[in-house]
Amino acid sequence: MSLDDDIAAWAATVRLTDTEADGIVGRIVATPIQDQTPRLDPKWWRGFTADFAARMVISTRPVRLAA
Amino acid sequence: MDREAEFRRLFDAHRAAVHAYCTGRTGDRQTAADLTQDVFLRVWQHLDKLRDMPGDGQRAWIFTVARNLSIDAGRHARTLTETEDAVAREPASQRPGAPASAPVIAAERVAVVGKAIGRLPEDQRVALTMAAAGAMTSAEIAAVLGVPAGTVRYRLSLARHALAAALDDYDRQGEER
Repeated sequence: MSLDDDIAAWAATVRLTDTEADGIVGRIVATPIQDQTPRLDPKWWRGFTADFAARMVISTRPVRLAA
Repeated sequence: MDREAEFRRLFDAHRAAVHAYCTGRTGDRQTAADLTQDVFLRVWQHLDKLRDMPGDGQRAWIFTVARNLSIDAGRHARTLTETEDAVAREPASQRPGAPASAPVIAAERVAVVGKAIGRLPEDQRVALTMAAAGAMTSAEIAAVLGVPAGTVRYRLSLARHALAAALDDYDRQGEER
């Protein structure tokens, strides 16, 4: 046997088999696809809304005149 | 082409190379199979993005994921001894003194090659595994690894010398028995 034959024989023992490959595909395509749409975290929106409301309230207060 | 058929096309085009790469990185075909599944799970989840890429871009994307996952797996890797054992499982041992049959010798030579590959430096092991198990050319391996093709050929040459030396040792021991 040549070195190439020995390496090829070893490669055959480690290569992914068709059965293993089909199993991988089956498991993957059964996985739900995650929504990739970028959107802001709901916590960010809550913080933004609270902050915006506070600013609006403060903006309606009369400005104190200097004594 | 529907989503599943598109995924299957990408999987079939790259699975051998990805598994060979992961086997080279981890030294364990089963760990490599798990990593291959993780890599292609990301392909499945990002298929819309990959669709718009050229073939080279798809391959680069896939191997970037494979490299990152291999690094993560390496952090939790077993010891080198365990890796070598997984790569090169011992063949059925023959009775002492009995003449070795051709299948036994062939199995022993595969084990010798596997152990020698397990002892190779990682860069040589990855190149050899991709060439042998992934059926990739030096140019293809170079493109994936981001090194010149000459460097890949040099690594393959060093790896083959190491394997030839290991098999010579095995042959000499056989003559002495």
